[in-house]
Amino acid sequence: MKENVASTIACILLLFLHISLLNGESPPGMPEIVSCLSPEKETFTCWWKLGTDGGLPTNYTVYYKKERENITYECPDYTTGGPNSCYFSKKHTSLWKTYTVWMTATNRLGSSASIPYTVEVIYIVVPHPPMNLTLEVKHPKYRKPYLWIEWQPPTIIDVRSGWLTLQYEIRLKPEKAAEWETHFAGQQTKFQILSLHPGLKYSVQVRCKPDHGNWSQWSPEHSIQIPSDFPTDDTTMWIFVAVLSAAVCLITIWAMALKGSSLVTCIFPPVPGPKIKGFDTRLLEKGKSEELLSALGCHDFPPASDCEDLLVEFLEVDDSEEQQLMPANSKEHPSPGVKPARLDPDSDSGRGSCDSHSLLSEKCEETQASPHTFHTSGVREKPETPEANITCPQDFQSIPGEGNIHFFHADESKSSTWPLPQPGQQNPRSPYHSIADMCKLAGGPVGPIATLLDKAVQDALKYSKTMANEEEEEKTVEQEVESFFHPKPKQDTVWLLPQEESPLISVKPLDYVEIHKVNKDGELTLLPKQRENSEQTEMSRAPDSSKEYAKVSTVIDNNILVLMPDPRAQNVALFEESIKESPPSLQQNQSEKDLASFPATSSKCKNQQGGLDYLDPTCFMHSFH
Amino acid sequence: MESKGSSCKGSLLLLLVSNMLLCKNVASVPVCLNGAVSCEKYIKDLFDHAVMQSHYYHVLSTEMFKEFDRRYTQGRELFTNTFNGCHTSSLPTPEDKEQAQQTHSEDLLNLIHSILLSWNDPLYHLVSEVRGLQEAPDAILSRAIEIEDQNRRLIEGMEKITSQVHPGAKENHIYSVWSGLPSLQMADEEARLSAFYNLLRCLRRDSHKIDNFLKLLKCRIAYNNNC
Repeated sequence: MKENVASTIACILLLFLHISLLNGESPPGMPEIVSCLSPEKETFTCWWKLGTDGGLPTNYTVYYKKERENITYECPDYTTGGPNSCYFSKKHTSLWKTYTVWMTATNRLGSSASIPYTVEVIYIVVPHPPMNLTLEVKHPKYRKPYLWIEWQPPTIIDVRSGWLTLQYEIRLKPEKAAEWETHFAGQQTKFQILSLHPGLKYSVQVRCKPDHGNWSQWSPEHSIQIPSDFPTDDTTMWIFVAVLSAAVCLITIWAMALKGSSLVTCIFPPVPGPKIKGFDTRLLEKGKSEELLSALGCHDFPPASDCEDLLVEFLEVDDSEEQQLMPANSKEHPSPGVKPARLDPDSDSGRGSCDSHSLLSEKCEETQASPHTFHTSGVREKPETPEANITCPQDFQSIPGEGNIHFFHADESKSSTWPLPQPGQQNPRSPYHSIADMCKLAGGPVGPIATLLDKAVQDALKYSKTMANEEEEEKTVEQEVESFFHPKPKQDTVWLLPQEESPLISVKPLDYVEIHKVNKDGELTLLPKQRENSEQTEMSRAPDSSKEYAKVSTVIDNNILVLMPDPRAQNVALFEESIKESPPSLQQNQSEKDLASFPATSSKCKNQQGGLDYLDPTCFMHSFH
Repeated sequence: MESKGSSCKGSLLLLLVSNMLLCKNVASVPVCLNGAVSCEKYIKDLFDHAVMQSHYYHVLSTEMFKEFDRRYTQGRELFTNTFNGCHTSSLPTPEDKEQAQQTHSEDLLNLIHSILLSWNDPLYHLVSEVRGLQEAPDAILSRAIEIEDQNRRLIEGMEKITSQVHPGAKENHIYSVWSGLPSLQMADEEARLSAFYNLLRCLRRDSHKIDNFLKLLKCRIAYNNNC
């Protein structure tokens, strides 16, 4: 019995189920929230998709929660957004907060819930397409016609306050064409199209995108007919231009090929390279620095001593007959007769500014222009010299830079530049040396010497005067000097044979004269050198044997002084002679005055002591002042 | 006499009311006296520049977040559900457009400044901790470094704008302290990634806030609500 009841119940239930299944009724399937979008970042709408409804009337409810709030809200508006939607109005929309939205479907038989959908409104902005798209073919005066496209942002989007910033894109195509031509329009709401095919009908669309949002849909198509007289690209003109330019290019290339090098030379003239006379560039290339430096006349580098190069030069006059006058270039090979005064640390002359109590430095400061000519003719004032001591005028450096006065070089065949202010230079430092040499080598006769010396004096004085005046005349002077010095062959030979014994004058042992002062006019004040050496002192005291440099007999080469250390009479005679002879020659000379004053002064100041003539420096000082 | 008195009172009242109404309207506050052209131009330039910076700032943070999501947390919904909010939530922020438009410019500027200041520290640590990530991609690291720079630049820009727009304003020093460093250094990989995810998400959101408010202020102040 019981069994029968149970089975009956089961049967009935099954029957019910069968019937219901036959009817299609079941609990609802799971709904799904498809998407949520916001058109203007102020509201948003969520749409859902239904599952199976189970054949029974089903209720759908949308719930949502806001971030960090435990309250569950129900969807405020199911209708505004259309079917199967939930619309969140401004009041219900909070930005910068995460929404969790889900829904449930309920019917008589059951209910089911959807998967929660998280949404942040700021990331789901998709605007509506732009509105009021207008097209117009405009024909302005003096310009080509064009297609003018204009539109407006969707009404609901607040662009004015900056809440959203929109960017636009347009696209167009001839009606029957397959592909669109897209143009990005930025933030502007208008656009011009210039190149269109006349006579065709064009379709245009526009869309927009907010900053940090997504592109809208394309707006509905708008069409416009392009009139037949719309100008097209004038290609024939461009073809002509292209051909012409190609021809020009070809001609240019051909011309260049033919006269390439000469043209290049014409357009880009070669830049003259620097040339230093007496400088062998091959040495540079070989990279032999020693040879190079020697060519420049530097013996040792770094300089052993700066002082020696400054200003004061002294004369070496060889005393003995056997001795050759030492050309100043061989510092390392002093002839026995040469007093190594230069190397004598105590000697003043030649030390110039450094520690010398010679007055050169003072002179430098006192006098303006070229009193130092003579010095500098011997030694060029170099920029590196201790400037502290000497503030010498620029004239120094204006002494022939380019027009090198070719100085005879005892040992080397190369013509060396005028002694550069470099230590250990090989060049004969002092013009005096050379002059002395010259004197010796020139031979016995005084006359020629005197002439030479005269000339030298003239030139020297002239030179000094020009130095005193302006640098402009320097060049002429240089030229003169050069011309003077440039070999007349006879003299050349003479110059170049320093080593030969010359029976010139009985020379006394070499002695030094200190240049006491040189004034503007280039007149020299000479001081007998102060000798530390007792031996020397003795000799100096002994009037007969002393070598005092009484007179500047002449100046050669504008910077070489020849002083004659001779017995008085000879000296005097010579000197007077030179004096006599000089004035007439001076007529041509600008420095007439100077020369006149020079001998005059000298005669005045001539002091005869013990058979020696020497110029009283103090006398000169006065006169020169 | 009575009528005069009452008309006086009436006009006074009228004045008061109109003043109140005017005061409510925060939208029209002239910054430049007598419409001085150079002053207006300068403010425009300041804002245009700042907006460009803030826009780029948000773009960078979005890219960084998406890159991280793609590489480490894709499909792991665990992360989306355990979102705890950001350390800058304590700063009073308008929640929608109406509230933003009703906030005074000075307050908005201060808010922007505070948010930027609050991110100084986290960004610094982000750069150093990102390097420790397993197979850290260069895209994330380079962007992290750039964002740190942008943050600094924006702070400078904000200070300039404030000094120009509200010259006498008291200096703003309010910011939220970030205490999430330990969570970035956890041994548990899942927890660590979750912490990174949250941080990058907060950065993306806050940079959007800054950008949005600056654009609002730009149109309000420099373009007179007519962008």
